[in-house]
Amino acid sequence: MIEIRHLRKEYPTVTPLRDVNTDIRDGDVIAVIGPSGTGKSTLLRCINLLETPTGGSIRIDGEEILDPKCDVNVIRRKLGMVFQSFNLFGHLTALENIMKPQMDLLDRSKQEAYDRSIELLRKVGLVQSALLYPDELSGGQKQRVAIARALAMDPEIILFDEPTSALDPAMIGEVQAVIRDLARAGKTMMIVTHEMNFARSISNRVFYMDNGEIYEEGTPEQIFTNPQKELTRRFIYKLKVLEIEIENDAFDVPGAYSEIANYCSSNQIPPKTALRIQTVFEELVQQILIPKPGEAQIRFRSEYAEADESAEIIVEYSGEVFDPETDENQLPLTLIRNAASDLQSETLQDGTRTNRIRMRIRP
Amino acid sequence: MSRTRKKRILFVLTAGLVLLLVLCGCGGGEKTETQSYTRLEELENKRIGVTTGSVQSMQVEQRFPDAEIYYFSSEVDCLAAMKAGRIDTFAGAEAIVKFMMAENPDLTCVEESLADGMKAGAAFPKTERGKELCDQYSAYLVNAKQSGLYDEVQEIWYGPDESKRVVPDLYTLPGPNGTLKIAADTGSVPFTYIKDGKIVGVDVDLVTRFCKEYGYKPEIVVMDFPGILPSIASGKCDFACGGIAMTPERMESVYFSEPTYEGGSVMAVLKAPEEAEAGGMFGSIAVSFEKTFLREGRWKLFVEGTGNTLLITLLAALFGTLLGFAVYLLCRRGNRIANKVTAACVWLVEGMPMVVLLMVLYYIVFRSVGIGGLAVAVIGFTLTFGASMYGMLCSGVNAVDRGQTEGARALGYSDRMAFFQIILPQAIGHIMPSYKGQVVSLLKATAVVGYIAVQDLTKMGDIVRSRTYEAFFPLIAVTVIYFLLAGLMIRVVELLMKNINPKNRKPEKILKGVVTHD
Repeated sequence: MIEIRHLRKEYPTVTPLRDVNTDIRDGDVIAVIGPSGTGKSTLLRCINLLETPTGGSIRIDGEEILDPKCDVNVIRRKLGMVFQSFNLFGHLTALENIMKPQMDLLDRSKQEAYDRSIELLRKVGLVQSALLYPDELSGGQKQRVAIARALAMDPEIILFDEPTSALDPAMIGEVQAVIRDLARAGKTMMIVTHEMNFARSISNRVFYMDNGEIYEEGTPEQIFTNPQKELTRRFIYKLKVLEIEIENDAFDVPGAYSEIANYCSSNQIPPKTALRIQTVFEELVQQILIPKPGEAQIRFRSEYAEADESAEIIVEYSGEVFDPETDENQLPLTLIRNAASDLQSETLQDGTRTNRIRMRIRP
Repeated sequence: MSRTRKKRILFVLTAGLVLLLVLCGCGGGEKTETQSYTRLEELENKRIGVTTGSVQSMQVEQRFPDAEIYYFSSEVDCLAAMKAGRIDTFAGAEAIVKFMMAENPDLTCVEESLADGMKAGAAFPKTERGKELCDQYSAYLVNAKQSGLYDEVQEIWYGPDESKRVVPDLYTLPGPNGTLKIAADTGSVPFTYIKDGKIVGVDVDLVTRFCKEYGYKPEIVVMDFPGILPSIASGKCDFACGGIAMTPERMESVYFSEPTYEGGSVMAVLKAPEEAEAGGMFGSIAVSFEKTFLREGRWKLFVEGTGNTLLITLLAALFGTLLGFAVYLLCRRGNRIANKVTAACVWLVEGMPMVVLLMVLYYIVFRSVGIGGLAVAVIGFTLTFGASMYGMLCSGVNAVDRGQTEGARALGYSDRMAFFQIILPQAIGHIMPSYKGQVVSLLKATAVVGYIAVQDLTKMGDIVRSRTYEAFFPLIAVTVIYFLLAGLMIRVVELLMKNINPKNRKPEKILKGVVTHD
């Protein structure tokens, strides 16, 4: 239904969309997730041309909408849009907000428009508020009217741009319930959202967007329980990552300690966990790996998952293999085992650092 | 007590207080005068009023180098200022002051005259046609002086019989040889002034007789004295009549006819209180009232002036609104350069004082186009009102959240439809309160149209003052009428606002023509 190829949007200073390629099919419910500023909203706004893409192609039902000859206003009628800030028309009642576009743009009679509007208001549970003005409605009510307004135009797809981000927590539920009903009824939708549980429960496809592209795509299961790529993992698990590279013996060890301290305090890592991360660095890197013969080529990496407050340490290094089971440095190893569990060693095939050791910091 | 009621009471109290202050001011001014002056030397260090650009102003500047000189636009204003105690004396042409004294028992003049031998006549533009007309008129005057006709006319206007002072032929001459546009001031009794709502005076009479003999149709264009010389220099009028004093400087820019007045300049002063004939406070108010409104049907002047003020205000508001709207629509999607040009024009129009803009339009832009002062006033105020309308629209539309446009565009509205259906109705809501203020300021701003020969309410007040020599009733009447007009405007705009505001619609209207099932 919608084919997007090499879609690009550039501004003078930033490039929110670098290269987006995807197909949206009938009946899809697509959740678009990802960190802020990675082009999620821009993608939605490019699809209905609220932003003009600077390159690529978008075909809707086979028609190239970036063609200057294409009538944008006709295309937009096929695409419903629900905004973060509702954008209800302030001078019209809720009912008229839904009726007017039908009468103005779809040539429906007032009676037809009215009947359809009432039906939709009933569907979103607001038939009692039909004659209220937007400023007399709560945020959640406004968003439900906005959804009804989009539905009244019988669009082929509805684009939701962070529909619950501007709402009080207490009102998020009512809006999500309406969207969930639509998903169940098989409406084609694309939803940009920061509500992970919501995204997971309603969608059949998830786009993880980062760096101006669809970085990883999959079913909700794949993306939320088993993300494959580095940035997706970091995002899904809310990983806080610290990497320290050691190129040679002349490495600034006190500097590394202050880096670790900063990392721990700025990510609100509990003091106990912080101390253990530091212990692992001290015993493993400073006591065992650096003193080994040959140039030290070490990468110390700490991943802290905010979701379950767990931390994992991964150390890659070059040269001779060090086996925690047989190594003679037993005192540092004991200290490491006190701080962390599940020590695993493996050998890597490529790169200068051919050995890797990973462990979980004890909770 | 409701808010509006409170407001209304507050308004009445304030208005009453202001009125009281004005009354006290009038009364108090007269009482400060304790002595009268009899010799010119006594005036050396006094506050002296003169008319801007008059011969007397130069004479006063020469004779009283140490005096404080105040410049007014007519002798009548000088008199009002003297009565209010703002000046001690003023200088005027002998004839004018004599007529003032006839109406004002407490006015007199210093016996020793300021200067003698002042000559005044009609002024003509320095063009070939001006020269030709000037020669014709001078020849006519010389003849009239020889035949005795001139003295006859003088007798009519300076004599005791008020009923003879009319110019019956002024409006009826057929004018086979064309029309002459003649500039005349309205406040110089006995030269040119308004009586029974018509322009009369010894100079008007002479000019009319001249036109009759030479087959011209006279058309008198009345204006303030300071506007007279510019109007003939710019060709707006064919010549100017009415006691225009001949000075060497003026002779450089215009031709003067044979003099129609020769006389001196005198210093007018108030009589000492004991000399002034005492009249009861109430009695004098009644007389003043009668003089201001009833005599010669002067209330008609107020009515006519109100009509003109209202006409200019309403037309300018209407056209200005349309103009501002049209310009805004053209600029809304316009390119940068076009918008910069518009902004510059708006800046120019808004930056210019209204009087200056009107005079530029009247004397320069439309000098050779045959449109009258009223039309020029409407054009001028249309421009300024259009400029502020444009500004209001810009800020009103900007005040509408951008999301409204996006919401409409996303539904499939075209840019144009989105603007008219969604943005504009909301912008109007933002504009209305300042629009109300602008209409009222427009009404008040029209008070300056007297400069371009339009007889609006303010000008009519001046004309009446120039006949009654009293400031109080004409000014109060003008003030009250402006207040009423402003109130009327506010009511009209408020009514409009109420009807335009979509939120004032009744549910029945929203659902009109729909079967609701429940």
